[in-house]
Amino acid sequence: MKSTKFTPASNLSKAEIDRKWWEIGDYFRRNSLWLLMYCTGCCAIELPPAMTSAYDMERLGMGPMATPRQADILLVSGYLSLKTLRRLIYTYEQMSEPRYVVALGSCPINGGIYHDSHAVINQLDQYVPVDVYVAGCMPNTEAVMNGFVDLMEQIKNKTATGWLRYKNNNAWFKQNQIDSLGEVEVYDEFHE
Amino acid sequence: MTSSMSNVEFVKDLVNKNFHPLSQEILSPYQISFVVEKDDVHQLLIVLKTAGWIQMSYLSAIDWPLENKFELIYILMNWEKAVHVQIRSKIDRTVPIMNTIIPIFPGAKYYERECHEFFGIAFPGNPDYEKQLILEGWDDIPPLRKDFDPRAYSERKFPQRVYTEDFSVTNNEPSKQAKRAARKQRAESLRGGKK
Repeated sequence: MKSTKFTPASNLSKAEIDRKWWEIGDYFRRNSLWLLMYCTGCCAIELPPAMTSAYDMERLGMGPMATPRQADILLVSGYLSLKTLRRLIYTYEQMSEPRYVVALGSCPINGGIYHDSHAVINQLDQYVPVDVYVAGCMPNTEAVMNGFVDLMEQIKNKTATGWLRYKNNNAWFKQNQIDSLGEVEVYDEFHE
Repeated sequence: MTSSMSNVEFVKDLVNKNFHPLSQEILSPYQISFVVEKDDVHQLLIVLKTAGWIQMSYLSAIDWPLENKFELIYILMNWEKAVHVQIRSKIDRTVPIMNTIIPIFPGAKYYERECHEFFGIAFPGNPDYEKQLILEGWDDIPPLRKDFDPRAYSERKFPQRVYTEDFSVTNNEPSKQAKRAARKQRAESLRGGKK
């Protein structure tokens, strides 16, 4: 009887084996997405119904996570001021790859009602790559849940490649950050 | 327990006994406002603090570009006699300087820093009124001055999204405004009783 313990090494190439492992990883990843909620704006009010029994995001395998190091999704809910953008870039760069960004509301898309404010940025995807935008002011909870399902589809179809874009076009993103912020480093007298 | 109106009267008497406010207004049984000269502000704050207005609730400014003035507003609160006291004072706008009130209310330190950041008012006596507090690395005139144009700043600083398609709603429906106005007019005409 042939032993099953020593099956011959497959004659797949290394790239193909890597791809298979990556697909397995994607399967598990998209079924247990952990959110880092960066609740900067009013769209964060849509998250309690999405998390609790009304829409129950846990059934999609999604849950809140406290630290950026262990989170998969950076959830930007609402407008971003310059000051928050600095912290957001810090947070995004702390996350491990692959990382995804979901932006809620119209403010990260084109500024929304803060389009002419001196303190609020107009386009989030100039500074960090965004995978899913959920439009609306504010989007209702069905739309938010739809956005999460869209992200899962994108991970399945390998189109959620924001983190790759950030890696490959890093100079472009960095230049945009410096153009708008002047300096990304945070100098905070209360935490020095 | 004193009634609220007598509390307001108490403040009014207290202030008018010692100072000559330019104008005063009782806004509600719990609020009174005094407009005073710039030089009287500190004395008035000391008198009020001694009388029990120990909480400095707010300090901010209003820009009056046509008069070329900044109006500073100090709001004080007393926990024994529930009256908010507003003290307003106008200072010059081209060289806006106001002495600090830190010796009277130490908590005003951060309000003064905020005021300097958003209006450019100098507060000599406050050791670090020039340090940044809220805006990080600001590179323009203070943003709450009326001559600051936030839209121009936003367009210069932040990339705008360019839409190649027109997403505005074009369903050719007539505006509901005229209909609504006609309905309102009819409702008014049907209303009986005294007008």
